[in-house]
Amino acid sequence: MMNSESHRTLLEAARQPTPLVLLLALSLLVLPLQALCDSPQAPALGSWPTLRSHLYGTRSIGEVGDELMSVEAPASTPEPSATPVTIHFGDGLAGALKQVRVIIDNNPSPLVATIDLSSKLPLDEIDLRVRIDRFTSVRAIAETTDGRLEMRSTWVNASGGCSAPPSAAAGGTLGEIRFRPSSAGKALQISIRHPNNSGFQIDPRTGDPIAPHFISHIALRAGENTLLTAETGISISENPTLRIAARTALPVPLTFEATDVPTQARYTATWEP
Amino acid sequence: MPGATQWRAILVPIVAALGCSTLAEAQDVSQTFTIDQVAPGVFVHTGKPLALDAPGHDDIANIGFVTGKRCVAVIDTGGSTRIGRALRAAIRRYSPLPVCYVITTHVHVDHVLGNLAFKNSGALFVGHAALTDALLRSRDFFLRNYPSDLDTPVTPEQIVAPDLQVSVGNEVALDLGDRRLTLHAWPKAHTDCDLTVYDTQTGTLWTGDLLFIRRAPVVDGSVRGWLTAIDSLAHMELKRVVPGHGPVTDDLAAALAPERHYLQTLLAQVSAEIARGESLQEALREGDPDDKANWLLWDEAHRHNVARVYQELEWE
Repeated sequence: MMNSESHRTLLEAARQPTPLVLLLALSLLVLPLQALCDSPQAPALGSWPTLRSHLYGTRSIGEVGDELMSVEAPASTPEPSATPVTIHFGDGLAGALKQVRVIIDNNPSPLVATIDLSSKLPLDEIDLRVRIDRFTSVRAIAETTDGRLEMRSTWVNASGGCSAPPSAAAGGTLGEIRFRPSSAGKALQISIRHPNNSGFQIDPRTGDPIAPHFISHIALRAGENTLLTAETGISISENPTLRIAARTALPVPLTFEATDVPTQARYTATWEP
Repeated sequence: MPGATQWRAILVPIVAALGCSTLAEAQDVSQTFTIDQVAPGVFVHTGKPLALDAPGHDDIANIGFVTGKRCVAVIDTGGSTRIGRALRAAIRRYSPLPVCYVITTHVHVDHVLGNLAFKNSGALFVGHAALTDALLRSRDFFLRNYPSDLDTPVTPEQIVAPDLQVSVGNEVALDLGDRRLTLHAWPKAHTDCDLTVYDTQTGTLWTGDLLFIRRAPVVDGSVRGWLTAIDSLAHMELKRVVPGHGPVTDDLAAALAPERHYLQTLLAQVSAEIARGESLQEALREGDPDDKANWLLWDEAHRHNVARVYQELEWE
């Protein structure tokens, strides 16, 4: 198990996720690989107990009621390296959210994203596309503006999503950003062309590891107002995608910014329907 | 991973289960390995329409060989070294001639793992110019998930890459001695490395997985590219078609129609979902098209296809 030194590193990384520190710290959480044949009926809890105590201490976390919040993902993912995860928020949470974390217990880097939200953006849905390495719980923890915690989770069966080599369909213009609105302007999907290399992939030609190169920070602004910021890690899929759905029409114009590591390249685009 | 993810998502759960069975359970397939001569000198072993989680998952693809006066060309070798060796033994029953070519129609595991049975036999391995990269991308996945379909101990060298590459736009003719095979490499369609083999003498086309009959098609390359390839195939004057999966047929138009209809339906459905701003999650949630009734093993393929096609179309 981990010593106190690595605990502290992890704690700091989680609170203040400087991308490289985050990567280093989370790499300590690499879980022992289970033999294929030992797969249990239910996935192991993996990193969750450790992450829980570091991120939320002994605070109580509500876990009851699908109307309040739910996590949706295909039970057996048709594509482990690009699995959609949708978090739905009901009446009690939409508009009262301060932060949402997404965690994939059994991934080499379990903390997928830490999303901070403005109360000006009453979201009832957040959707990401993630890599899933093996049978796991996928969980979301929401913190409300008044300090309440709610968590919901689902199981996903998959294999190899984190180490899958880059797709042959990869490419396009690095950093190209697409906006795709729907539902009368109340929902918006934002996609960015980026390899989001996890650092766990191998170049099939050379056999060498592919260096991590991923989007580490995103922000969504409407004029002076920052509506959403997120720290994101290597469990996000190639060509990262964020979709939000709100109760009311989204403000326009909306500016999306993304920063990657280690190059610190910044990509930005504005949606003006 | 196109070319590489391929059947990854669908195969994994099964392989996880099958990987646990012991080698002792493996049957001696050579005793029961069937070959049909569908035209003079054209021999086909018909793969079984089995679910990917069924025993015998290594014997689901159509494989076979063509004999000339000088030598034999093998077209695909099955999903295990066991099936590859059964094919090699079967060839001996029909021809004393050496195997000079082993042609791989694409990277998928059910067509390629038997190649090892012909390694160091003097045969030249032939494939699409993109096959080598596709095999490299898939190799670790094969080794990790199909150890019981390879020889023990499992080594990367067991995944055999082509010696002779056929590039798109440059057909290659192979002479088997008074018998010519024409190899055509396709732009991205079923995978990114589809190769078809035409036997001039009997008018027989081996389509690889550009043609699925009865078994639900799997998209790992490009749905648009595949539909274009189907249009090209439909214009070919052929006497007979050996599909990648399903029965050999002389009615090409009838064989292509269900596949074209499914892919057109898939393309239309996913395009509409993207145009409406629906997420991948919503696309996966969408009900099955009526096409479902036409296909075997639908569930293994359709959701995978929706995910692949969604990602193909969303950047157009």
